[in-house]
Amino acid sequence: MASCDGCQLTLLDCEDELLALGEAVDIVHFPEASSALRPQGRFDLTLVEGSISTPEQLEEIRHIRAVSHALVVIGACATSGGVQALRNFADHEQFMRVVYATPSYVSSLADSTPISAHVPVDFELRGCPIDKAQLLEVITASVVGRKPGIPNEAVCMECKRRGVVCVMVARGQTCLGPVTHAGCGALCPAYDRGCYGCFGPRESANTGSLATWELGRGRSKADMVRAFRLITGAAPAFEHESKRHEP
Amino acid sequence: MTPPPAHWLERDELGHLLALIRGDGYRLIGPTVDGAAIIYDEIEGVDELPVGWTDEQAPGRYRLRRRDDDAIFGFAVGPHSWKQRLFPAREPLVQIRRDGDDIRFSAARADPPPTAFIGVRACELAAIELQDRVFVRGPFVDHRYAARREACLIIAVNCVEAGELCFCASMGTGPRVGPGYDLCLTELDGGFVVEAETEAGAALVQRLDARAAADAELTARDAGLDSCRQTMGRELDTEGLPGLLFGNLDHPRWTEVAERCLACGNCTQVCPTCFCFDVKDVSLLANAETARERSWDSCFGQDHSTIHGAVFRPAIADRYRQWLTHKFASWTSQFDASGCVGCGRCIAWCPVGIDVTEELSAIRSQDPKPAIELPRPQVWWPREDDPLVPAPARVLEVQPETPDTVTLVIERTTAVREEPGQFNMLSLPAIGDVPISVSGSGEDFVEHTLRGVGRATKALSELRPGQRLGVRGPFGSRWPIELAKDHPLTLIAGGVGLTPLRSAMQQLAANPDDYPAVRLFYGARSAADILYDTELLAWDSLPSCDVSVTVDQASRRWLGNIGFVTRLLRRKELPLDGRYFICGPEVMMRQVLFLLDEAGVPKSHRFVSIERNMKCAAGFCGRCQYGPYFVCKDGPIFRHDHIDFIFGQPGF
Repeated sequence: MASCDGCQLTLLDCEDELLALGEAVDIVHFPEASSALRPQGRFDLTLVEGSISTPEQLEEIRHIRAVSHALVVIGACATSGGVQALRNFADHEQFMRVVYATPSYVSSLADSTPISAHVPVDFELRGCPIDKAQLLEVITASVVGRKPGIPNEAVCMECKRRGVVCVMVARGQTCLGPVTHAGCGALCPAYDRGCYGCFGPRESANTGSLATWELGRGRSKADMVRAFRLITGAAPAFEHESKRHEP
Repeated sequence: MTPPPAHWLERDELGHLLALIRGDGYRLIGPTVDGAAIIYDEIEGVDELPVGWTDEQAPGRYRLRRRDDDAIFGFAVGPHSWKQRLFPAREPLVQIRRDGDDIRFSAARADPPPTAFIGVRACELAAIELQDRVFVRGPFVDHRYAARREACLIIAVNCVEAGELCFCASMGTGPRVGPGYDLCLTELDGGFVVEAETEAGAALVQRLDARAAADAELTARDAGLDSCRQTMGRELDTEGLPGLLFGNLDHPRWTEVAERCLACGNCTQVCPTCFCFDVKDVSLLANAETARERSWDSCFGQDHSTIHGAVFRPAIADRYRQWLTHKFASWTSQFDASGCVGCGRCIAWCPVGIDVTEELSAIRSQDPKPAIELPRPQVWWPREDDPLVPAPARVLEVQPETPDTVTLVIERTTAVREEPGQFNMLSLPAIGDVPISVSGSGEDFVEHTLRGVGRATKALSELRPGQRLGVRGPFGSRWPIELAKDHPLTLIAGGVGLTPLRSAMQQLAANPDDYPAVRLFYGARSAADILYDTELLAWDSLPSCDVSVTVDQASRRWLGNIGFVTRLLRRKELPLDGRYFICGPEVMMRQVLFLLDEAGVPKSHRFVSIERNMKCAAGFCGRCQYGPYFVCKDGPIFRHDHIDFIFGQPGF
């Protein structure tokens, strides 16, 4: 669907595990890896990347759902609408007129939306891009029949398990870690930089309290709109928070 | 007791001390400046200590600052604690290898190198002692933790300056370092007062160029400790705190703080005593090797309280209340001490600066309800076996009970006979382990009846005779059958809640002289869901037993009782001197207890079986906490009056 294809490439990044993967599952349709495509038939596990951004994609995802036993959607685009969902906050028609010489050639939906807005999904794997180990965990869980070991917890938990010093407390940075779904291994805080929320909101994301704290220590409302409206800005919890701080 | 003789060590001799310890084969872990904070890391000598550094702390704020002097230990505690060294954030517990139908489980052993902790503060030593209570004082011993604890040498430091967020004086854990150290240093102008508590510590002092401390130096030490005690940045009134908190579970402050709380879990992760962990099977695709690993968990996460998709603490207010009532109240019932040592980490490292001392004093001062009495801690007899390593067991027989329920008859792996009401942890490689109550047992077999609802129970229910699984246990409390002697006994079961009562029923039916009046009331969803139907009929035919069955939904062919089990109970006599064993969904048990209330049956005559999220089953992982109890070791069978202050309370 609408995406940069980076999450699909994560599968090819599993270099050490590719052989084992090839033995455990029969990969029948994977355009990034092979031109031997076989989109017909029914599938035990379908991984779908990207958001629903055009009328054709909407048709296609309904078909994919119908032929898939388990549908796992991967990446920020597929789970929240992605960075392209920034258009949801603006006038889509106006964007097209500015960007394209002949907008009438372009067929796209006004909003970029996650797959789950259109069809039931079995699992949402978050991230921009997704984490390779988490992707292998989802596939392994499907192969052996366990619940994917992917906790819906704050990035802070991974940060603390790594022993990283909190950038909010010790450096005064804005960090979305406390309200963001874990999975990246606290990548940005480990490099002394606040989390920008690319795994999207976790459950119980208390974005209001985080924003109040940041405003209280000198951040502006515009800073809050920028912080919450980025890669997963259209995820409901983040969208709600950024709208609260709009001028 | 005479205090150990104190020595004086010149400042320049500290390097010598560290070199001696390293020379003895210890690696040194001590405070060191890392970017924006003083953390604990491997060091080689004095140069890496934070000489001339201090910290400024406030709620949600920590900054490093240069001192005016070159004090070596002139700072308060930072983001790290010794917990990271003794109870690592992630570690394997069990290695599992599958070879065809064969499964082997082996304990992952910690092989810790001798390690010296340099600069352990009074509050931190108290925290280590508190975690000892969790991991080595029973009923089980966590051998990995115990091995690391054995391998450590503790060089403690008395605090002569208090931090802005310190309140060890209120918690009674400092500033003077309590027992449990090898050497204790007090930093004064020009050097250190050194006290040894162990032979290892005394031997180190012997080898140093240290003279007996002069009276003036001891006076200076005591003055430093006094001034520290008097300048604590925070204080807390701990008087009657456990009862106060549990008496105020509906205090409005819980919802107020929940508006600020991010439920991120930072407070629990920086807390030097928090011990909750999760356990997961880590494996790759269809590989034969699985590592069963634990990782730090937090009661602020949703998974912590989730079973069968139900979340017991859905709201942030529930989770904050769980953390605070556990830390300052339940700990006292569980481990005979407060779980807080007053280090202030949770205040500094809360990203939005929530201050526990402020929250607790708000509950105390804003119109509190009366305190209640909490249970006293149990004394456990330590058991040496590793409770986390399953034994492989063969499936002898699989008996289908209903369309989605089977009874697994498996070979006995332990000489310990299961008591009615107890449970085993059943596991499959790469899938994980789940608590399943024992539904029956014999000389060489154990029976477990399970419904394939989750993925693990589904995989277990698909096992075939001859295949193997892992078993560990038995764990938990039992139905107190002997208390029912000479009293009418009523068993009330809903759904699969009949399974832990089945083995009790078997014993009762076999001993009619002791138990001449046993009644079983059993509610199933439908006729097709009735478990153990032939056994039910056989029990009912005995003069000492009376069995009544009802179904929620009936087809036309069903001629028996229809409706919930409570409807059946309403028509029966509920004798006041009777004993009652109840097991089923919590909503059903609540209704039953309500009926018994109406009938006037004393709460001490009723016993219920509670289910919560269980991972380790040995009292370590903290996930099955139920107020002041662990369901795995204090439960699952509880006397009603022992839990009535939390039973049915949302958030527990």
